[in-house]
Amino acid sequence: MFESNLDPAPTPVPGARVLAPEGEPLEFIYKGRRFHVHAVVSRWRESGGWWNRIDDGRLKKEPLEDLIFDDGGKAIWRVEAAPEGALTTFEIELDEITGRWQIRPTSR
Amino acid sequence: MADSPYLTMSNTKISFTHLHLASGYSFKYGTALPQHLVERAAENGATALALTDRDGMAGAIRFAQSCESNGIAPILGVDVPFLQRKYRVTIFAQPGSLDALYRLITSINFSEEKLLTFETLRASSQYSSHLILMHGAYSQLGAAINARRYKEAFSIFSATAPFFADQVIESTSHLRSGIGPLSTIYASKMLGFARDHNISAVLTNAVRMRDRRDGPVADVLDAARKLVPLHHKHVERSNSEAYLKSPAEMAWVADEIARSAGERNGNRLLADTEDLAQKLLLSARTDIGLGGIHLPRVADLSELRRRSSAGLSKYTGELSVIAAKRLEEELATVTTLGFEPYFLTVADVADMARAKGIRVAARGSGAGSLICYLLGISGVEPIAQGLLMERFCSVLRAELPDIDIDVESDRRLEIYDALFARYGFKEKQYKPGDDSGSATVAMVETYRARHAIRDVGAALGIAPMEIDLIAKSMPHIRARNIAGALENLPELKSLKLDTPILKMAINLAARLDGLPRHLSMHPCAVVLSDSHLLNYAPLEINASGYPMLQFDKDDVEAIGLLKLDILGVRMQSAISYALEEIKRLDGTEVDIDAIPLNDSATFDLIKSTRTLGVFQIESPGQRELIGKFAPQTFTDLIIDISLFRPGPVKSDMITPFLNGRQGFKSRALIHPDLHEVLRETEGVVVFHEQVIRIISIMGGITLAEGDERRRQMGAPDGQVEVRDWFYPAAIALGYDRDVIDEVWEILRSFASFGFCKAHAAAFALPTYQSAWLKAHHTAPFIAGLLTHDPGMYPKRLILDDARQWGIEIAPIDINKSERNYRAERTDSDARIPYTAPNLISTGEPLILPDARGFAIRIGLSDIQGINESEIEQIISARPYIDLADFVARSGASRPICEALILVGAFDNLHSLGEGALNHRDLLLHLQDLYTLRSNSKRTTSSNQMLLGLTPPPLTSSGLPDLTLAERVRHEIDLTGMDISRHMLDFYGEFLNHVGAIRSSELIRQRTGTSVLVAGVKVALQMPPIRSGKRVIFLTLDDGYGCNDITFFEDIQQSRGTLLFNSSLFLVRGEIRRTGPRGLSLRATDAWELAESYEKWRNLRVYEHG
Repeated sequence: MFESNLDPAPTPVPGARVLAPEGEPLEFIYKGRRFHVHAVVSRWRESGGWWNRIDDGRLKKEPLEDLIFDDGGKAIWRVEAAPEGALTTFEIELDEITGRWQIRPTSR
Repeated sequence: MADSPYLTMSNTKISFTHLHLASGYSFKYGTALPQHLVERAAENGATALALTDRDGMAGAIRFAQSCESNGIAPILGVDVPFLQRKYRVTIFAQPGSLDALYRLITSINFSEEKLLTFETLRASSQYSSHLILMHGAYSQLGAAINARRYKEAFSIFSATAPFFADQVIESTSHLRSGIGPLSTIYASKMLGFARDHNISAVLTNAVRMRDRRDGPVADVLDAARKLVPLHHKHVERSNSEAYLKSPAEMAWVADEIARSAGERNGNRLLADTEDLAQKLLLSARTDIGLGGIHLPRVADLSELRRRSSAGLSKYTGELSVIAAKRLEEELATVTTLGFEPYFLTVADVADMARAKGIRVAARGSGAGSLICYLLGISGVEPIAQGLLMERFCSVLRAELPDIDIDVESDRRLEIYDALFARYGFKEKQYKPGDDSGSATVAMVETYRARHAIRDVGAALGIAPMEIDLIAKSMPHIRARNIAGALENLPELKSLKLDTPILKMAINLAARLDGLPRHLSMHPCAVVLSDSHLLNYAPLEINASGYPMLQFDKDDVEAIGLLKLDILGVRMQSAISYALEEIKRLDGTEVDIDAIPLNDSATFDLIKSTRTLGVFQIESPGQRELIGKFAPQTFTDLIIDISLFRPGPVKSDMITPFLNGRQGFKSRALIHPDLHEVLRETEGVVVFHEQVIRIISIMGGITLAEGDERRRQMGAPDGQVEVRDWFYPAAIALGYDRDVIDEVWEILRSFASFGFCKAHAAAFALPTYQSAWLKAHHTAPFIAGLLTHDPGMYPKRLILDDARQWGIEIAPIDINKSERNYRAERTDSDARIPYTAPNLISTGEPLILPDARGFAIRIGLSDIQGINESEIEQIISARPYIDLADFVARSGASRPICEALILVGAFDNLHSLGEGALNHRDLLLHLQDLYTLRSNSKRTTSSNQMLLGLTPPPLTSSGLPDLTLAERVRHEIDLTGMDISRHMLDFYGEFLNHVGAIRSSELIRQRTGTSVLVAGVKVALQMPPIRSGKRVIFLTLDDGYGCNDITFFEDIQQSRGTLLFNSSLFLVRGEIRRTGPRGLSLRATDAWELAESYEKWRNLRVYEHG
């Protein structure tokens, strides 16, 4: 499970590098290797627990009315991904007359 | 706020109607008001919106009104628990079936379990069969699907199917993690089930917030609702998705769910949602009933003419002609508007009260109507007083006029009962099909500062002490002003308001501002309609056991239900009590409603300013005003009441009026045409009726039109419009520009402060009646005051007032006292000195009441801690031959027996005055009696045994009696009153020595004299003052009357704490005479009386050894 924090905090937090041109993650770097997202298994959002982070300094000291609550908003994707290049696509063929299987690599 | 990942989706215009929406009227659940949600929906381009609040529909009318003004078609439903508390379903009304939804909700509310069951459905199927049921994420059906118990799910669906017009399945994803309710998986399973069984499925967002950022508010509400601190276990949300999403955002969710369910996209889900929405669109007018009217049915409308014409016999001579003509005009107005049932119904309610012997008086502008007078709704004669029907009701303003009825406060609910018996449910046991035309009205309690900060503080776990301190110092202000209020409260400076947690708490409290907290019963409003009231609004049974609409007073007005305010007025109870006492003492029946309104003794009493206990004119400020004003006529009383309000005080209408009245300044006559109108008020505009007449005369329009113009002037824009019309109109009638300028200036500046004369006249009647009773039947009247406590002063002050009129205060007597205060005649004449002021030196002599020869017997109910059954038993077991007999038979508890001894209730029975026995002997005797009782209890039980035993003898112990001072202290502690003596008596010698002046003698002092006064604090007030500076009024009672002393800012600094914390005072002040009997005392210094006394005594001991 990988996370990408899309809610910009008051100061940008250095995080994982994720390529998401339209908001949906397509590729990311993990442990130095580039991964390609093949399928999104599920996605969800989480937030809450602001009351546990009252004193952590993310609360803006601006006018009272504009207080920002650190509600910890997160969007989470559960994806199936594989390292770029490590993944190969195969064609698996069943000859329905003879009942023989054939496998051959193919380009994506 | 970050963009949602799905905002980049389709640009094509999608329409989406939110069908599941909880507003703040889902109490302590929804975070936004209906109007704010409607506005947001309109901004999102919606054409329709549903409100489906939890458990009720209290927000429906406000929602419909906002929809109407935002061009949104309203849809109404309700979200209710079904079968079990944890399962919820949503039920929608279809066009033409909102009444069925109301009745179904009413059925649920009237049921014992307060949830929808199959039993309720079977009993109410004629209603539910018009409604549409939606099974959503928290339904039992949803739970079964999620557990893959599809058969069970389908059997639930089949079981509810026969009861409803249609059913749909609701698919909602808040993008929660996991597979539980509001996750995408769960939503897609719901959708899949619907597809498999060919059931229509719709998409909702189960909205409870307007914006994503409202999550923390939702959390606080969850915590407040469940009475727990904030914790992940307790809050319902795990993210912030339950907000009013835009159509594009919803389309993204639709795709997400549909794809998860194996469909290519969410288009079908969206389309089916829109299809259902289209079927549910209601009309704010024909369905919800905005602008409608539902008056009670009256068999014969001509009864109004018959009954009011019969009343014309009250008039004679020339007046009868005028009255007959006016009646015709009023009848024409009423008939045109179709309001006959309204007048007849209100008259009926007044008659019902009178038939029960309950005093009734109309309040408000209704007193301006001759019909109201002739029907006996109002007691004020409108023609001679120049009161106008048009101010109350006119064809130009086709809205239901407002009549308020004042009744005896202690009998108010008897009228409710009678009224519901006639107009309400025929049987106590409600059935869904019942007809009813009457119910109480709800009142929406909203979050204000105190509650908001308490709930937020509790949720955040802030120390209760800290929260308490903030909450208690919070004036009754809007929650959103908390930040400002805190800055102005010096006592809070020590709290570190800058800490993040307190800042957060204040921010959250401000965000709770104005959100409804719960419904309560309006304190005095009832609704009267035709017998189909249950079709117009949902009802519930409130805490007092009365049926109550879920709509508040503005809502019922919006849908045209007749609202009648039945106000309990303690003064009416006190008057009624006084009349009974007069009858008991003298056998005379006084018809207080028929006394002449020009009684000189009554006005003498008023002019003396000794008006404690008199309705409306007993406050220090009012007594000061009547001292200056010296009212001579009933009209003067009306003027007095109209002048004594914040508006006139602030705009200083009083000074020009008094200048005119006292002849200090000659009246400037603006124009002869206005002479009649302004004569009674010395050229000053005091009444709305005068504004209406002036506009009508100089603008050349009718009175009804005049009132429309007057109302228009209430708003700044309206004022400009009226001016642009008034000038040309008046010029056309030939008025000079100067005159118009002057009149316009008066209208402009005084219009908004003017008071409805009819309203003031309705108030002036009980004022006059109570003054009349005080002047002529002082003791019975004061007994009524003490029993019903209608005014602002403590009872001990009323007692003291009684003493000054020569009334003896008879202590509680175990064989004589009743529950309440009784007036008695005494044989001993004038044991009590008459100390009411001698006013001969102050100009015209006044004849004041002399009540020597009367006593007021204190009632048993004033003993602290005594209960009703004890009182009843004590009275029913009378007479008692001695204390032992009382202990044996009265059933009174031991502390009550002790209290009764201490306040002298046995003094007469045991002849304590003769010296053989005293209070301590009685107390010892009581102890013996209880010892005996507990010994005997060991063998057998209860009092019978005690009766058989010989009580221990009552003998003198030789101990000294309680001192007088001790007795008075016991009286104060046990009854709150100094009965045997005035508290100040103990300082008499000291006060004489320092030359303190009695309040009754102050009137003889000249302006500028510096005097010393003393007394017990009666009241401390900080009224609105024109300059905006804080002025403190201290009222002291010294046993000879009251001193009202003004403390300006110069002395508040040094003496403020003393004023708030002490109760006995010695004050030095400067006299200023302000009118025939007007007097003001400006404080220059103040001390605590007991302290000064101690110093003096020590000094004296030192000086004289």
